[in-house]
This record gives sequence, structure tokens and C-alpha cells, in this order.
Amino acid sequence: MAIYLDCNATTPVEPSVVAVVTRFLEKDFGNAASPIHDYGVFARTAVEHARGLVAEVVKARRDEVIFTSGATESNNIALLGFAGRGMTAGRRHVITTAIEHKAVLEPVAELGRLGFEVEILPVQPDGRLDPQRLAEALRPETLLVSTMQVNNETGVLQPLAELADILEGHEAWWHVDAAQGFGKEIEQLRNPRIDLIAVSGHKIYGPKGVGALIARKRDNLFPPLQPLMFGGGQEQGLRPGTLPVPLVAGFGEAAKLALRDHEARREKCRAFRVGALTALDWLGAEQNGAEALTLPHAVNVSIPGIGSDRAINALKRVIAVSSTSACTSHTRTPSHVLQAMGCSPERVETSIRLSWCHMTPEVDWNDVTAILRTMRG
Amino acid sequence: MDQLFRELEEATIDQYDNKDLPKWLADPVFEVARNPAKYQGKEYLVEILVAQVREYDIYAETGCCKWAYDHEDLKRTLRWLEE
Repeated sequence: MAIYLDCNATTPVEPSVVAVVTRFLEKDFGNAASPIHDYGVFARTAVEHARGLVAEVVKARRDEVIFTSGATESNNIALLGFAGRGMTAGRRHVITTAIEHKAVLEPVAELGRLGFEVEILPVQPDGRLDPQRLAEALRPETLLVSTMQVNNETGVLQPLAELADILEGHEAWWHVDAAQGFGKEIEQLRNPRIDLIAVSGHKIYGPKGVGALIARKRDNLFPPLQPLMFGGGQEQGLRPGTLPVPLVAGFGEAAKLALRDHEARREKCRAFRVGALTALDWLGAEQNGAEALTLPHAVNVSIPGIGSDRAINALKRVIAVSSTSACTSHTRTPSHVLQAMGCSPERVETSIRLSWCHMTPEVDWNDVTAILRTMRG
Repeated sequence: MDQLFRELEEATIDQYDNKDLPKWLADPVFEVARNPAKYQGKEYLVEILVAQVREYDIYAETGCCKWAYDHEDLKRTLRWLEE
């Protein structure tokens, strides 16, 4: 089996997460919304415990965590949930960036169809949004600003602290898609100016199918979001439906480990990175996104003369890598992220993404470089 | 494992000495904190207890929604630990 180097798509699950999920599947299977007996009360207790663990990662309050099915749903609630407020308040200007995940770009496009004016900010060749672009785009009637924390394709960290300074004193709601950075880059998301944070369990060694929208209160009031679904009133009425307690509890465990093991994980990722970058350098690979801004567990490179599909196929018995995000890799459309960074068509077509984690075993980089060199002939 | 029980003891001391945790509730929590061997295999519940002690507030149920843990929560978790 090839060694898995696609951790930005999804991560392996921590053993203790599996144990927690299994417990709530097999033994403690109560419904958290039925706290009329110990089964239900214990389920509700586990959910509230998990809520606290997720909140702690970003220093939010427990009641500010709304469990969802994952970051895509969280992004949709955070963006489309403001449509009603924007229409009644006459604030119809929405800002986002060209490198967002489709889970942000598509709901934003829907806001455009609903009559909102959408402004998509370009990014720099280093993969980062220039904060000045946001300063120039902001207007009094700006309703919503949506920026990601870490790009899923390049691993480049976005300048959230600088964006927070620009947004200070402005009424616009600020949503951050943190699917790739939650639990990995801790301090940024603790900035109280960030109103909404979208996260996924399966990017932090938790189960798939669970995530959260963290909605920080302003002046003790929740952001004026409207639900996209109705029926049941769970999760403060924003996300009805029976909570998947095993997944929620597993997500909580994963959040706990993300804080507890943060430094040790980063250290392992940094050590792995040295081998990866050395091997890629031998191949003359060009990194997409500035190395100084990239998190330790990911790298996006273009290998001159070798198309992405050919490289991925040739390497599939040694390492499992991808070319773009998991949600668009099946469509074979060129990366909109690299295009937004101004990469040439050839550079885009030869790009691959490698992403690893603290659980990744050693890779024989000699094998990798030998295969790719052979392809060049 | 011992680290978790140390955290429970520290949180209980803090709540008892500096905040509102009553003696009748602190005593059984100390009993758990000081007997790690007895509660082996129940660490998940002990973790919940640590969080509940840290966020204990006698006024947790006042207002429109419950925002902290109260004595009923702690008593229930202590009961589950003995089952």
C-alpha cells in the first residue's frame, strides 16, 4: 500500500477517537435530544463535553459551537444564513477571495444570484491575500467578509491578524473557513474579531460527517443567522436534526488532542518536510506558495515536464498524492487557486500537492525521485 | 492517566478554595481524584468531571439558558463513575 500523503483531503483517525466513536455506537447510543433517561442524559453530557473541547481550541464559549456535518455545511450556514439580514438591512455587499474553497465560492455565487454584489479579491503570487485589498474593498454597506485561514491547495497561511485590524470598528460580519487550519494553527483563530469559524472533524484526525460553525457573540448576541433547514430546533435552531453523538464525541476527542499534542505534531511534520523538500528540490520542483508562509504539513509543487495526472499515476504504488483539492480533483478542472496566484498554464498542469501528518510513516524519497526522473527520460 | 487525576484534584482545590464548590460536592470529587487505580477504564467520565468542576457555577441554571455546570451535573457524573 502506498504511503498516504493526502492529509489535506482527509486525515487518518486517531486511535483514541476510534475508541470514543465506538463507545457511542455500541454501548452509549442514546439520543442527546431525549434527556429523559440516563441514555439520553449521557449522550447530551457527551455532546456538551465535546462542545467545550471544540470551543477551547479557539477560546470560544461552549454555547457558541454549533455542530454541523462539516465545514461545507458550516460555510453555507455562515454565508447564506445572512441573506435575510442583508436584504432587510439594505447591506448587500459581500467580499471574499479568489482562492477560497468551492464550499465558500459557490454559496457566495448563490448570494450573487439573490441580488448581492459580490467582490472577489485577487491574491499575490505568494498565495496570500494582500490585506490592503480588503481595506480598499470595504464599504459602509459591506455585510459580510469571508476569508480562509489556510489554503487547502498550497498550505499558505492567510494574514488573519492584519485582516482583523482592518475590520476593527467595521460592522461587517467576518467569516473564516478554517477547515485546514483549525487545530493546526492555534492562535490566529482566537482573535475575537472573527465572528464565524467553519471547521471539520476529519481534517484533525476525527471522523468524517461532523464539523462545527463557531458563531461568536457580539455584545452578548449571536450573529443574526437564519437556518437553512427547519425541523427540531437543535443547535440553537440553526441546525436542526438528531445529533450524531458518536461523531460529535469523536470530534471532541480530536479537538482535545489537537491542543494537547499541537507542538509535538508540528515537530514531526517539520522533520518530514525536510526530506520531502530535499527530494523535490533534486527534481527541480518549483513550490507554489511562499515556503515561509506555508504550514509544516503541506507543500504544492510543479515538476517541470511531468503532468500532474501522469505523476500521480506513476507514483501511486509509492505515495498517494493529489493535484488539487479533494472536492475538485475528480472534475479535472485546472486549479483556480494556482490560476489566481498567476501561475502559468504549464505550471498549473504540472502541480501536485503533498500533505502529511504526525502519523505518516517514513517515505523512501529515492523511490519517488527515481520514478519521476524515469518519466522525464 | 495520573495527569488527568492531578488535573481533577487541582481543579477541585481551585473551585473549593476560591469559588463556590461546596464541601459536600468537593469531597466525593477528591475521592475520585485521589484514587486513580479505582477508576481505571473510566477516564472518559473523569475527563467530563474535570470539565464540569472547572465550569461549575451555582447559578448555572439561571437565565435563559444553561451556560455552566451545576451540582446536578457533578452528582450525576459521580454516580456514573460508581456504576
